[in-house]
Amino acid sequence: MTSGSAFLQQIVNGLTVGAVYALIALGYTMVYGIIELINFAHGEIYMLGAYFGTIAAGALLVAGVPAAAALPLALVAAAALTGLYGLSAERIAYRPLRKAGRLAPLITALGLSIFFQQLVLLTQGAKDKVFPFAITSAGIALGPVRVAYIQIVILAVAAALMVGLQTFIQRTSVGRAMRCTAQDPLMASLVGVPVNRIIALTFVLGSSLAAVAGVLVVVYYGKVNYLAGYTAGLKAFTAAVLGGIGNIPGAMLGGIFLGVVEGLAAGYIGGEYKDVVAFVILVLVLIVRPQGLLGVRVPDKV
Amino acid sequence: MSGAARQVLRSAWAKAAGWTAAFYVMTLPLLGAARALWIALGVAALQAVLISLDHLTPGARQRFRRVVAGGGVLAGRLGRMPGWLRTALPLVLLTAVAASGLGLGPYTLDVATNAGIYVLLALGLNVVVGQAGLLVLGFIAFSAVGAYTYGILGTQFHLSFWLALPLGGLLAACFGLLLGLPTLRLRGDYLAIVTLGFGEITRITLNNWNSLTHGPNGILGIPPPSLFGFTFSQPRHYFYLVLALVALAAFCSRRLERSRLGRAWVAMREDETAAESMGVPTLRLKLLAFMIAAFWGGVAGVVFASKQLFISPESFNFLESVMVLCMVVLGGMGSVPGVILGAVLLAFLPEVLRGVAEYRLIVFAVAMILLMQYRPQGLWPSSRRFEESAAETSP
Amino acid sequence: MPLRRLAGRFLALAVLGLLLMAGCSGNDGKVIRVACVGPMTGEQAKQGKDMIEGAQLAVEEWNAKGGVLGKKIELLIGDDAQDPKQANAVANKMFTQGVVVIDGHYNSSCTIPASEVYNLRKMVCLTPASTNPQVTDRKYPTIFRVCGRDDQQGRAAAQWIAKHLPEARVAVLDDKTTYGQGLAGEFSKSYTELTGKQPVFTGVIVKDDQDHTPVLTNMKGFAPDIVYFGGLYPQGGLIVKQMRQLGMKTSFMSGDGTYDPEFIRIAGPENAEGSYLTFIPDQEKLPTAREVVEAYKKRFGEVGPYSLYSYEALNIALQGMVKAGSTDGEKVAQAIHGMTFNTVFGPMQFDAKGDVLVSPYVMWQVQGGKLVQLPTDS
Repeated sequence: MTSGSAFLQQIVNGLTVGAVYALIALGYTMVYGIIELINFAHGEIYMLGAYFGTIAAGALLVAGVPAAAALPLALVAAAALTGLYGLSAERIAYRPLRKAGRLAPLITALGLSIFFQQLVLLTQGAKDKVFPFAITSAGIALGPVRVAYIQIVILAVAAALMVGLQTFIQRTSVGRAMRCTAQDPLMASLVGVPVNRIIALTFVLGSSLAAVAGVLVVVYYGKVNYLAGYTAGLKAFTAAVLGGIGNIPGAMLGGIFLGVVEGLAAGYIGGEYKDVVAFVILVLVLIVRPQGLLGVRVPDKV
Repeated sequence: MSGAARQVLRSAWAKAAGWTAAFYVMTLPLLGAARALWIALGVAALQAVLISLDHLTPGARQRFRRVVAGGGVLAGRLGRMPGWLRTALPLVLLTAVAASGLGLGPYTLDVATNAGIYVLLALGLNVVVGQAGLLVLGFIAFSAVGAYTYGILGTQFHLSFWLALPLGGLLAACFGLLLGLPTLRLRGDYLAIVTLGFGEITRITLNNWNSLTHGPNGILGIPPPSLFGFTFSQPRHYFYLVLALVALAAFCSRRLERSRLGRAWVAMREDETAAESMGVPTLRLKLLAFMIAAFWGGVAGVVFASKQLFISPESFNFLESVMVLCMVVLGGMGSVPGVILGAVLLAFLPEVLRGVAEYRLIVFAVAMILLMQYRPQGLWPSSRRFEESAAETSP
Repeated sequence: MPLRRLAGRFLALAVLGLLLMAGCSGNDGKVIRVACVGPMTGEQAKQGKDMIEGAQLAVEEWNAKGGVLGKKIELLIGDDAQDPKQANAVANKMFTQGVVVIDGHYNSSCTIPASEVYNLRKMVCLTPASTNPQVTDRKYPTIFRVCGRDDQQGRAAAQWIAKHLPEARVAVLDDKTTYGQGLAGEFSKSYTELTGKQPVFTGVIVKDDQDHTPVLTNMKGFAPDIVYFGGLYPQGGLIVKQMRQLGMKTSFMSGDGTYDPEFIRIAGPENAEGSYLTFIPDQEKLPTAREVVEAYKKRFGEVGPYSLYSYEALNIALQGMVKAGSTDGEKVAQAIHGMTFNTVFGPMQFDAKGDVLVSPYVMWQVQGGKLVQLPTDS
């Protein structure tokens, strides 16, 4: 393989990973945009989505549903269930703390994240959960560069969801209410926006998107374990910050950028430094340009 | 839809039914049909109790919240004690613990020593989280710096433990300074993430730097401390060493709390913008808090290495940072006795709950969440915070 | 002064004091205490259970024959939760409780710090599963290893390649853990020794990562015929799967950490076909193990990979105790060093460091979606 085509292959690999980061990053960015909370538990929500997808697909296969139909059904089931988790987390853990300053919700988020991890560990075990049917590793060859079909599916689904989300937020009345709440919740409630419901909806949407990412990943790699949310969550958060937290196109850009840079770093520096590169990027962005690539600087509320 | 039907749907009972159904669906794939049903029944019962309570004695829940938030045996009113007692009580306690060290077996002493190391860590973290109000999530990295300082210098250059103790602390403090200088301008939640990233970078670097740290194999054969020809070998020796350090750290924390610096931290914690506009040099204050916290983290790391005689990067993972944070939060952020209590409780709890050790972390997680809802100031809050919360909750 | 509140506080302290007292109980000398120590809770609880079952079987057999040195044997269980700190604490606990023989620990990262305590207290410790060389390389007289060593295993793999695929271009990957890095390192060393060649590529992947394509893409450029991986089955499976996805036909070889049916499921059976794994011989087919395997299955069910090692660890220690005529750790250890034991794995002897003399590893291969032991002479 020539170095040029190896480089192209690294870009393709990175794009796939980046698309997944971007989908998870959307949840972070939406929640942060609307209530300024870093929802630490979001990575675990993604992990839960992957588990639900795997369990649902397994159950559907046992029930005799053909694999081609089981996959989209499992995706929808996982998105719905995980959305419920997001909704409950908001209603039970976060809503009572909305006026409690910054430290309490952050610690709650940390607690939730450990809770979800342990819940899965205790009920599903520590072993990796393997997706019930194998997806072909076949794909198309563009010269020496190989793109698996499943990679194309991941990229396509991610792109469609992001465009859909952006349209939803920019073009619909609910989307307008979300933007309105993000700008000023008090004013929004004064003009009749049901702020609590809008915030709950944000959590549901973000969680469902993470669940889709989770299912795509478990199909692509074939397995998931209860710790998968930690690293993925951190990376996705990095992506969100990179693009400008609270900014939806920024999250997409950040995810793709991080995926590609990480892939190149692992390929050319060494796999052991992959995570270091990601965290260094995070630290650098926060120090040099805390508003991210596409974000706008907002002064602290006094 | 008719108005009456709408009203039924909006009633508390309909909501309760909705939550019950939701929890059934949510737990079904993880637990299976039978166990999910039990969960749903539990949720339903809880909702029924709460709703009936609201009907029968309106306001009971609010009163309960107030009692939990403000009361209890350990409510922090230490500040109201007469001065002689405030000095005497910790001394009596220290003597009692020291005396008990003579009668305990090596296993208990060993666990107590581990608990003591956690107390050191928690007291350190308390300076930055509790007193200065900055959430740090990668605290264990400072401990790693201390541990590796002694691990490397002790094995390769036979550096004495007694020199390594302050040196490890100082190096960790330098690390704190290096990390703090660029990052402390960030707002609280960004800072939390950056420190988390820093913790991970530290662990990964320790794991990758084979020539210096032996990578994942860790450092073996770390020399135990020795003093005038007497070598520490028994758990009892370490117990007294750690006890002395804990006493020192607690004393320093206590003094710090009441100093000018401590008061400035409180001002900054409560309202940074206001403090800054009053001329409080917030950046410098944050840096100091960071360095002091890192110092104690480093000292704890040196002790850990000298006791364990073996260190490897996996001893310094994110979960350890979370553990120490839990201790601070549980005991009461900013309260020295509270933090000690929290650390001792959490370090001993797994020993007491051996049979249900698997559920340990999930219990911690739930405790963290509930604590934030009902008693964010912790079990034994600092007297200052206690007054604040009492002022907030009383009508 | 609110005395009532003060009393409450002292009450809390008294409770704490009681907690401190908990867990102290000595041995009254009427029984001989041995302990099985390993990861009984957490991710590796299954492996811990395997160890306990093996130990239990051994103790039951000895007690049925009347115990040892005229006394009954009592088996204690210790949990290190795969945490080095905990391992140290539990080692001290076992000393307090008058335990003379330790069957454990499971992880090298726990055995190493705990053996510092066992060495200090002159307790005999036989690990049934810790394969890292450092466990015995410190030459502590009372520390033994019943299973193989990573360097023996790495060497077995290198020998196989030198014999069967001498012309192959070899790449080496590891997962940057004590186990994986150690195993891959030993493989590379032996490979160079035996063939005079260096691996064409060495790389590192991250254990918790899912996507190994960047490193594999890089590796593809060196066109290796076979890749040796030091690491565990989840990553092993992903590596095989992602190599095929990148259109690579490179064969895969790894060690006992990858020996798990899940490896084939994660990789996909058609991707994993032909992969090589070094592991111990199939215990169920060992003629010397037939009786024990039957007894074990009747008592507990499925035999775990390290169950029989745990069983033999206690057998060896107790035989040593009989020979020494004493429970003194140093004397028992001395006796063990001079003996040959008839174990289910065949005759077993220990060298000066406390390792078994004969390397137990053989080659397995994935054939038709199943793990099959290759004949040793082929």
